Amino acid sequence: MIRTLTSRFLGYAILIFFALVFLYPFVIQIANSFKSEADAADNPLSPIPSPIETDSLVRIFEGTGFPTWLGNSVLVSVVVTLGRVAFASMAGYALSRLRFRGRTFLFGGLLAMMAVPPVVLLIPKFLVLNQLGMYNSYAGLIVPLLVDATGVFVMKQFFDSVPVSVEEAARIDGAGSFRMFWSVVLPMARPALITLTILMFTGSWNEFPHTLVSVQDPGLFTLPRGLADLVSGSLGAGTQYPLKLGAALLATIPVAVIFVIFQRYFVRDAAAGADKG
Amino acid sequence: MKGIRGNEQPAGWLFVAPAVLILGLFMLLPILMALWVSLTRWNGQGSPFTGDVPFAGLDNYTRLFTDEGLTRQDFMTSIRNNAYYVFFVVPIQTVLALGLALIVNNRLLKGKGFFRTAFYFPSVTSSVAISVVFLFMFANGGAINAILSVFGIQGPQWFSDPRGLLHLLFEKLGVSPFLTDSGVFGLSWWDWLSGPSVAMCAIISLVVWTTSGTFMVMFLAALQNVPVQLEEAGMIDGANRWQRLRHIILPQLRPTLFLVITLGLIGTWQVFDQIYVMSQGNPAKTTLTPAFLSYRTAFRDFDYGSGAAISFVLFLIIVVLTLIQRRVTRERD
Amino acid sequence: MRRKLYGAALAAVLVATSACGSGFDDNGSATTQQSAGPADLKIMIASSGDAETKAVQDAAAAWATSSGSKATVTPAQDIVQQLGQALAGSTPPDVFYVDAARFADYASVGALEPYGESFAGVDAFLPNLRQSFTYDGKLYCIPKDTSTLALQINTDLWAKAGLTDADIPTTWEQLRSSAEKLKAKGITPLAIGDTRDRVGAFLVQAGGYWVSADGKQATGDTPQNVEALTYVQGLLKDGLAKYPKAMDAGWAGEAFGKGKAAMAIEGNWIKGALKADFPNIKYTVKELPAGPKGKGTLSFTQCWGVAAKSQFKQQAVAFVQAMTSADQQLSFSKAFGVMPSRQDAQATYQKDNPDDAAFVAGAQYAQGPVNAPKMDSVLADLDSGLQGLQNGSPATVLQRFDKNAKTALGG
Repeated sequence: MIRTLTSRFLGYAILIFFALVFLYPFVIQIANSFKSEADAADNPLSPIPSPIETDSLVRIFEGTGFPTWLGNSVLVSVVVTLGRVAFASMAGYALSRLRFRGRTFLFGGLLAMMAVPPVVLLIPKFLVLNQLGMYNSYAGLIVPLLVDATGVFVMKQFFDSVPVSVEEAARIDGAGSFRMFWSVVLPMARPALITLTILMFTGSWNEFPHTLVSVQDPGLFTLPRGLADLVSGSLGAGTQYPLKLGAALLATIPVAVIFVIFQRYFVRDAAAGADKG
Repeated sequence: MKGIRGNEQPAGWLFVAPAVLILGLFMLLPILMALWVSLTRWNGQGSPFTGDVPFAGLDNYTRLFTDEGLTRQDFMTSIRNNAYYVFFVVPIQTVLALGLALIVNNRLLKGKGFFRTAFYFPSVTSSVAISVVFLFMFANGGAINAILSVFGIQGPQWFSDPRGLLHLLFEKLGVSPFLTDSGVFGLSWWDWLSGPSVAMCAIISLVVWTTSGTFMVMFLAALQNVPVQLEEAGMIDGANRWQRLRHIILPQLRPTLFLVITLGLIGTWQVFDQIYVMSQGNPAKTTLTPAFLSYRTAFRDFDYGSGAAISFVLFLIIVVLTLIQRRVTRERD
Repeated sequence: MRRKLYGAALAAVLVATSACGSGFDDNGSATTQQSAGPADLKIMIASSGDAETKAVQDAAAAWATSSGSKATVTPAQDIVQQLGQALAGSTPPDVFYVDAARFADYASVGALEPYGESFAGVDAFLPNLRQSFTYDGKLYCIPKDTSTLALQINTDLWAKAGLTDADIPTTWEQLRSSAEKLKAKGITPLAIGDTRDRVGAFLVQAGGYWVSADGKQATGDTPQNVEALTYVQGLLKDGLAKYPKAMDAGWAGEAFGKGKAAMAIEGNWIKGALKADFPNIKYTVKELPAGPKGKGTLSFTQCWGVAAKSQFKQQAVAFVQAMTSADQQLSFSKAFGVMPSRQDAQATYQKDNPDDAAFVAGAQYAQGPVNAPKMDSVLADLDSGLQGLQNGSPATVLQRFDKNAKTALGG
């Protein structure tokens, strides 16, 4: 009995310690966003700003390109998410259910695409965007992200796991492929679509390397790109930690909110990773 | 069957058309273009796809491996740095994720949901935003050094300290630099044996911190599939905690363990965002990684051919790891 | 059904329409020149700080109003990288700063419009600066300004440590002894940037330099250079000098401005930065202490490059005319401290800025930057060697530089 008590105590102690390790950096981030620069430099660990200063937050909106970056991020993430969900579910459905020549070949190609690591695509993507005249434009920022191979794969796996009986019934009614996809298949796929939407949104919101090679004009920067620029800063910009931490904080908030609301979908996806590989 | 289903040929192709078009245009085509560029000496002026661009054959590749010079030295330095990075990140994150999963999974403990969320949250945040936070924490007068000073340790100047951990260890043991005159691939054995630099350690800790949560959730899912009877049988047999873990739970987790390790290997060879934001390869090139080097070589030094060649070597490394992962996963099924 | 079709076609349309854009410009003749009328100029600068950014932006705005054009000034975070992408993408800014050290790279690949020869009043610019921007006998661009390194001393910290004017170092020995006195009082004596562009000054003072006078040969591993680096290493090892990062600062000027170091080795630009960011600091500027071979410092210069692929070359050159007029140069001087590149502005400058005597004096014996194509990665490697100087070996750093430079210079 004492043994289980001590082990329970020990278990909690370890968990709480690690919860601190994993969450305290965010506390530091929030607290230091509201500190003066001197206070942040002198008491980096303290969770309480004294005095509370909102100077940095004001400067984020007035002294940096933050509002532009935010606008671009919202635009890019929304369009990319819509595109990814629409195209992934269409392609996933076709690969899972429709019989057409080249299907096996396409699926093989898809698996190969998934193995391509994004970082080796930096130079290649830059080359193709240049060749197509899309470099430094919204099109260049958005179009290449519109389809995500993993998303297609996830949707194909999902449709594979759903019994065909419902569709068969509809098919006998004489529904065509498109109408059936729209009015029978998609409503049925709601849980998978929600998961996909969330993952694709956070993915595109956080996307960094692509923006590095697709745009150049500060007016086209998204939040991660703008933030990276702010951090590396040009000579003389100074450390300005409260400002940088504040900007990073604001960039994190949307994803944090989505995570808290929909966290079971995140967890499900990661767990699915373990099941399916 | 065909009669009922009708002709699905046009529908099928129409459904996959957007995906095929975009993946083809922005993944397949660029890879082919970059493959061509890696065989040329294109300097970033005009189009690389004209007859004016000097063809270099395999020069850009041989310069990475056989030709004495700065290109090879930088490339090998980046390989060394990334290898140490992998060597530290993968085991630490795997053990940490497994340990946390085992504790969170303990049926006697409450608040499972909270802890799972807490550990998982860092991995959904933006790598750039998180890098900013860690830059602040690892500043010389930052939070980490403040904690260390509580224990009477004077923390290092994290991002300006290029000394390797192993070199520091040798120094502590009173071993003077050895094998500095001989080596392979343009680096002396002594340089190969540097260990990750102090600056790299800060990046290692950031990455372990962000990815452990994801892998913990994978382990948790797998643990939930371990039959309770098995564990109970072990208890009845009088096996202690360690024996149960070693002989009952771990064998059950083996596939997941393999998966986590290979995913870790694949991911760690791609480290880029954190390097770009936090160190840009500094100090003294000790945080230079192949991914960042290829970017820098192309866009800073205008040596697109060499940059693309580095990309493809990295590509090869990752593809091999991916094939291993897929094989392992397939064997399991 | 139609809706689906539309969705499927969307991507295709997006791609197709954007594919009609400019794309790579293969032969150069495709750039349509718009020689007269209003232009939309993009100007990219490598700013030394907010002071410079603002000054250039204001000047550009004034020019835009008077000429009826648009002029957008963008401060680059890393101009080499950003310009590289822009040039490869055939979307370069019309006008941009070109550093003398990087000039040969741009000129040799044909990225720059050689407008210098026909520039009105070109003879007014200092000949040695014009030489820095001449490639294959052609003057490509007009020097923007010039600056030299000098020693800044925080007079408050100086007094706090009980030091007087007599302690202001004029030799290496004095620099060391004054630094030791400062350190004894718990003050970090010297902030120095961890690059060849700062440390290199010590080489000049010791009678050496990275490359030979004609810039064609690497001369790293010489006794003079080893002596210089050993001296700097000694300062670093004993905590008498620190790199900015070791003081949580982005550059030496920031550490100096925050009072984290009593001395700094920076150029003219520090004046503007201190005025803007740390207006309360009291300091004086002296010539760099002399080494075993006498006084030595480094000079820097940049030019206003005009892109060969600009659509508005004529307006771009007009813009450069406006930016390099004697009056404009003097007002830039006032804003961020650089010295004019025109001979006819020198006298006024010296009269207006008596405090800058040290910078002006330095110009007499300053060493210009390494100026050869293909050297950037070699120099970057040298910088990384200097970052590790404290625990490294000066001879190794220099030998490594020689080896790499020889390959790049083809010697």
